[in-house]
Amino acid sequence: MPVTVTQINTAEVLRYMGCPPERADGALIAQVEACARELLAVIRPRWSWRTVSLTLEAGGVRLESGLLLPGEDLKAHLSGCGRAALFCATLGAEADGLIRRTERLDMSKALTLDCCASAAIEAVCDRIETELQGNFPGCSFPFRYSPGYGDLPLEVQGPLLDLLDAPRRAGLCATVSHLLTPRKSVTAILGIAEGEMEQKKRSCLGCPAQGSCQYRKAGGHCGIS
Amino acid sequence: MEFRELLKAPGPIILDGGMGTMLQARGLRLGEYPELAALEHPDWLLDIHRAYVEAGTQILCANTFGANREKLRRTGKTVEEVIPPSIAIAKEAAAGRALVALDLGPIGQLLEPTGALDFEEAVDIFAQQVRCAVSAGADLVMIETMTDLQECRAALLAVKENSTLPVIVSLTYEERGRTFLGHAPACAALTLEGMGADAIGINCSLGPREMPALVEELTRWTTLPISVKPNAGLPDPGGAGYDITADQFAEAMAELTELGVKCYGGCCGTTPEYIAKLCRALEGRTIKEIPRSVPAAVCSPVQVVPIDRVRVIGERINPTGKKRMKEALLREDIDYMLGQALEQTQAGADILDVNVGLPEIDEAGMMVKVVKALQGVSDAPLQLDSTRPEVLEKALRVYCGKAIVNSVNGDEEVLDAILPLVKKYGAAVLGLTLDKEGIPKSAQARVDIAGRILDKALAYGIRREDVYIDCLTLTVSAEQAAAAQTLEALERVKKELGLKTVLGVSNISFGLPARPLVNQNFLTMAMTRGLDLPIINPNLEAMMAAVRCYHLLMNIDTDAREYIAAYGNATVSTSITAGTAAPSAAPAGERTLEQIVVAGLKGEAPAATKKLLETMDSMSVVDDILIPALDRVGADFEAGKVFLPQLIQAAGAAQAAFEVIREGLSAQPGAETVSKAPIVLATVKGDIHDIGKNIVKVLLENYGYPVIDLGRDVDPVSVVEAAKKHNAPLVGLSALMTTTLGSMEETIRLLRAEQVPCRVVVGGAVLTPDYAKKIGADFYARDAKGSVDVARQVIG
Repeated sequence: MPVTVTQINTAEVLRYMGCPPERADGALIAQVEACARELLAVIRPRWSWRTVSLTLEAGGVRLESGLLLPGEDLKAHLSGCGRAALFCATLGAEADGLIRRTERLDMSKALTLDCCASAAIEAVCDRIETELQGNFPGCSFPFRYSPGYGDLPLEVQGPLLDLLDAPRRAGLCATVSHLLTPRKSVTAILGIAEGEMEQKKRSCLGCPAQGSCQYRKAGGHCGIS
Repeated sequence: MEFRELLKAPGPIILDGGMGTMLQARGLRLGEYPELAALEHPDWLLDIHRAYVEAGTQILCANTFGANREKLRRTGKTVEEVIPPSIAIAKEAAAGRALVALDLGPIGQLLEPTGALDFEEAVDIFAQQVRCAVSAGADLVMIETMTDLQECRAALLAVKENSTLPVIVSLTYEERGRTFLGHAPACAALTLEGMGADAIGINCSLGPREMPALVEELTRWTTLPISVKPNAGLPDPGGAGYDITADQFAEAMAELTELGVKCYGGCCGTTPEYIAKLCRALEGRTIKEIPRSVPAAVCSPVQVVPIDRVRVIGERINPTGKKRMKEALLREDIDYMLGQALEQTQAGADILDVNVGLPEIDEAGMMVKVVKALQGVSDAPLQLDSTRPEVLEKALRVYCGKAIVNSVNGDEEVLDAILPLVKKYGAAVLGLTLDKEGIPKSAQARVDIAGRILDKALAYGIRREDVYIDCLTLTVSAEQAAAAQTLEALERVKKELGLKTVLGVSNISFGLPARPLVNQNFLTMAMTRGLDLPIINPNLEAMMAAVRCYHLLMNIDTDAREYIAAYGNATVSTSITAGTAAPSAAPAGERTLEQIVVAGLKGEAPAATKKLLETMDSMSVVDDILIPALDRVGADFEAGKVFLPQLIQAAGAAQAAFEVIREGLSAQPGAETVSKAPIVLATVKGDIHDIGKNIVKVLLENYGYPVIDLGRDVDPVSVVEAAKKHNAPLVGLSALMTTTLGSMEETIRLLRAEQVPCRVVVGGAVLTPDYAKKIGADFYARDAKGSVDVARQVIG
């Protein structure tokens, strides 16, 4: 089923742009809102998902396909989960094209569009996550986890996309250096635990930006929680 | 019977059905590689192929869909290990009752500009598969499930350059009638027929019920046989299956005979049962013969421009007589050219001419860069303009769509050098009515040359609709009788030869006063005589007005919609100055240039700068006004009073002011330039996130530093070469991802090993000052403003 996003959170976009929302002037807010409308008109969110059973082993998390998601952080994160819903999502190539074109005309606007797109793909993932959770009544879910978080390497992007048949179903691929293309895309692992579990909060501790986060440097926070 | 004979014979050709879903049904486990079935489950593969032959399949696709070296890398097997047994098993199953196709699916990585894979690399990947299949005895090639027309082109070129095998090319579309990348069936049809596909079609994504609209679009733009291989209905994103039965599938497919479809098969979710029922449903049906004719047209991957009315070719991307463009070419300032492109399409250009010929530069290399960059930002088809066949060939290879080649003339040597390229890459060609003897004076002689060009083009297999003729505009102040001859020749070429006509217009008025008057009137005269493709500067409002008025008065612009959209709110002056350029924005009122920059009011900056230049010299404007204004914004940024968007807006306003100053200096011969020492910028190898680097570039340029922007995913060697070539005292490197920090380190190492006398500044989201030091950078820039501070420290 198609996922649609009709609104983008202005405060989140402003934070991505390096501006604390409460200090944005009217002109800047208007620019964000205009860019959000322009972006929403061109994006075509697509996604694909599947459930896999998993086992936790010495080197990390082993999916039923045989793929090992290496490292300690995801393993700790998925403790108590016997399955996971894997998904990928993309805004599509049109978002990249719009940003690329705008960079040649108005860089400030291009930056705003880029940040709107980052917020939009998060919103798409939120919608997908809600929809997926609905498929597993009575279960609980630690927050969705992506390659690049903690010690989960980006190298698993390609194999995850393979499992999701992502090139064919969503037009989503990885480059040889494991970056997702189109750029505004996400792969994620949503753990599924039977029954209740302790809710984990997304926090700076597991964030890939770690010591180099722009928001932390400025004494703030990216707002994702 | 061979495939090409099958295509000519009456009746449908039956293809096969799904392979991946059949292997899964046989027991292929999640995580197993379907590409290796020939090695790991040869018996399954044989059975599946045999079942399709039993069902009536005439063309089996070997199980080579993902057998390219990129996808096989994860399996540890090579193309040479996988393709021959895959084809051998299909041939064994066919046992002479079916032909066997090499199946070429997508590489699995996106090509530039959305992805990072280089076009020639893609050609090479497919070529390896094709060579392997030829020696294994494949009968034809099926390129399928493509979402990128450029990847189709790479695969088709690989087939054509490495075999004589017939080839079907099939893309997969979404319900909106476009591929994932937004590419249109019409564009695929025009492009792929031009490049020599034997049949084209649609497969995968949708079910048979969604086919008619797509098939109809294809048939409007190609005369080739059409192939259709839909899924068993629409899939579920979770992979739960497809929504129609074999009977429903067969029934819906059989309806396609009414649209003249030639090849019928199935994709995901279809089985031998679907194909058997399809065969039965097609029995007794005749494929309707619908006469097709494809009009003259050019295209990009997303837009067809039919030459069915006056279409404007924008002439601005050409250094001839344009100092600013020459400067941009010498500095490899691709952004300037992209800006020119977008300005022209916004003004109404339908097609853009691209000429980057300068004696001092590598024209072929620059042409490739510019064509790729233009296609990354503009949907307009391009006219590739060079006198050198090797430049044209490079440009044609990477151009995605159907281009115009500018140009050939009546000289046999030129025709024999360039027409084969036009044919191979499926372009249209512009022929100039001149030859070794020069430009003939009489209309008759020009019509004769046009006829010779046409005959030669037809002999090379180029369609009549793809030959456009330029009867050449001469300067009327030198030869007053010439204009009438040009117009007569144009009219006769159009009527007698039935060809589309082109004319560069503005030469007509050279040496006369009030040139816009002459240009506009000559353009109107030429259009009434049958001009299809004026090559003009679309930024000149008078010229676009002439085109719009012509369309209005000739009843081409239905209900005057376009005319009213353009002029509904305009106050048009009929004085001759109306013809020069769009009037600049209203005077900036009371604001000073410094206030304008601080407020980031780009639109007001040029007028204010021009006004200042009346009383101040350009260096003072830069040093006393622009730089201090930028400094003030920079200080506010550091103090957290303004934020990145405002900083960039201020920079944009300053850039507009610099542009005015630079144009003024370019106009004075031998004038000193404002430029300081150059800075080389690159996003490192492997990294494709370049907005940060681009922001840094804008800021640096607005502080007067010329920037050599190498783009994204830049090889360390290219950085070293550029730093040496431009004597850059500072190199800036950007990386966004942890995975690409290694290439940043490698780039710095190479700069040091080659002893390039430059300092290195690094930046990007994942960098820290400590890490910058560790990898040998001289400076770490926290943000775009930090880069400017470093530049000032190093260069001054």
